Amino acid sequence: MTDINAQDIEAIVTRFDESTWDELHVVIDGFEIYLSKNPSDRLQASSAVSRATEAATLQALPTAVSANAGGAGSSSAASQPVATDFPEQFVVVRAPNLGTFYRSPKPGAPPYVSVGQPVDPDTEICLIEVMKLFTSVSAGVRGTVRRILAEDSQLVEFDQPLFLVEPRA
Amino acid sequence: MPLRRILIANRGEIALRIVRAARALGIESVLAASAADRDSVAAREADRTLVIGPSPARASYLDARLVVHAAKSAGCDGLHPGYGFLSERHSLAALCEEEGIAFVGPSAESIQAVGDKLAARRLAKAAGVAMVPGSAKLESARAAVAFADDIGYPVVTKASAGGGGRGMVVARDAKSLREGFERASVEAKEAFGDGTLYVERYVEHARHVEVQVMGGGDGRVVHFGERDCSLQRRYQKMVEEAPAVALSDATRARLHKAAVDLLAPINYRNAGTVEFLYDVDRDAFYFMEVNARIQVEHPVSEMIAGVDLIQLQLRVAGGEPLPLQQSDVAAKGHAIEVRVIAEDPDRGFAPSPGQITTWRPPHGPGVRLDSAMEEGTLVPPYYDSMIAKLIVHAVDRPAAVALLGDALAQFEIKGIATNIPLLRAIASHPDFVAGRFDTRWLETILLPSYGQRKDS
Repeated sequence: MTDINAQDIEAIVTRFDESTWDELHVVIDGFEIYLSKNPSDRLQASSAVSRATEAATLQALPTAVSANAGGAGSSSAASQPVATDFPEQFVVVRAPNLGTFYRSPKPGAPPYVSVGQPVDPDTEICLIEVMKLFTSVSAGVRGTVRRILAEDSQLVEFDQPLFLVEPRA
Repeated sequence: MPLRRILIANRGEIALRIVRAARALGIESVLAASAADRDSVAAREADRTLVIGPSPARASYLDARLVVHAAKSAGCDGLHPGYGFLSERHSLAALCEEEGIAFVGPSAESIQAVGDKLAARRLAKAAGVAMVPGSAKLESARAAVAFADDIGYPVVTKASAGGGGRGMVVARDAKSLREGFERASVEAKEAFGDGTLYVERYVEHARHVEVQVMGGGDGRVVHFGERDCSLQRRYQKMVEEAPAVALSDATRARLHKAAVDLLAPINYRNAGTVEFLYDVDRDAFYFMEVNARIQVEHPVSEMIAGVDLIQLQLRVAGGEPLPLQQSDVAAKGHAIEVRVIAEDPDRGFAPSPGQITTWRPPHGPGVRLDSAMEEGTLVPPYYDSMIAKLIVHAVDRPAAVALLGDALAQFEIKGIATNIPLLRAIASHPDFVAGRFDTRWLETILLPSYGQRKDS
């Protein structure tokens, strides 16, 4: 196995996302990641590659999505539709109630999940705090985190989109 | 310090009413809404709306921690709970106190003191306010008769272990009390596993009267007169008016004094209502309970007293001393409020949620409508069925009754069933026009005749 962790993957994805590259294919030891800005361009995952190998097609999502949904200052973020220009099968994980959104279990700790990270339905992906009472939110779906739509330690409303997860069978 | 920004933890007409009262005072409003209410009129008019939870009230409007978190996060320095929902939870007031948010209502301590039935009775007793004469637990029919002989008939037996009509027998003389006592005891034993009874004076002709007060929190309590809310169905008020015409001026003055005397000793702060049962035959009133919040029917008192009680609430909550004295309050004319509900009287008051396709409310001098409905509004199935309060104000009761009839005739709502046809029947009934009714009139006289009118 490699020492590549979630932060590394996020760094790769972010670097790719901010670049003008059309696609990126990285193979390190048993780790392989393939990124493309063309939705139809999908690496055929073979059974030969390891668990960590993700057939990762990252949509070139407009930055408006995160700016739109993440701001606590936006008075009706929850009532605004999530940008729909991502593959239909992507699952939006939403806030179960109003509260403060935390990506990490405690200040300074690494976040529960980062972009590119695989999740299971019961994987904890964030905390919602209401009056010092912290409730964890699970992914609810097996897949890969593709976007984080809310800002850490900011107020989110009920039903506000928090994550985009690409499901996988 | 005057409030700068309040959170409104409510919905419907009262949320809108609070938004507008705040705006008139230059206070910003943040509405804490459920998902079902994110596009409500109140949400549109508030400076900001936060969707706190899904439609069911228990996951949104009834979650004190959610509303206080929303208030803190939005930088609010006050929180108005409206009526219903969390308005009389002392825990919400306490949470606000801990967080340094001004609760627009009484202190947590006061809410607790008047919310607990026994504690409230102690307050009344200390203030010399009468309660319905009643016995302690009784051992036997003989003891019951001895007590009843003392206070006079009729009396009613009650189960000390519970209510809801079980164990209740009305007796008009010693013979029927002796016979009824055993029957009631068996019934109580079957219903609650405890046949212990006590006996209370039975009020044959009762009117529900209540006094609107505002406390400064410093021992000063001002009242805004009384209301008569005798027209009720299943303890739900349907018509309220002010003043209460059944009272003599002397009794009225005693009633007002009783309300003030009851709340002044606890330094009651903000709006409250003291409810009494008025015994028409004996010209006596008995304390029932205190509602430590603004009430649905507050507009009738506003109309006769010429005050804005919600604005007054916000000013007092902001720390302002009571801006008026008792001598500044004078009652003018007569006001009547009817509650328009999305229920169908012809189908056993079945709830009738749905989309309002036509909404033509009445207008004119002396006509006020407190509502958050408009054409196209969806009445959601999750909450209370009240969709509007129609209030009329005129020089005297006959003029107010006439104005009410006209206003109801103009009021047109389509798309959902409402009780407007029933309200019209009430407004034109000779008993109502004459002011001749008690708390049982709506259920025992009007509704049966209204049902027959439909059958014939």
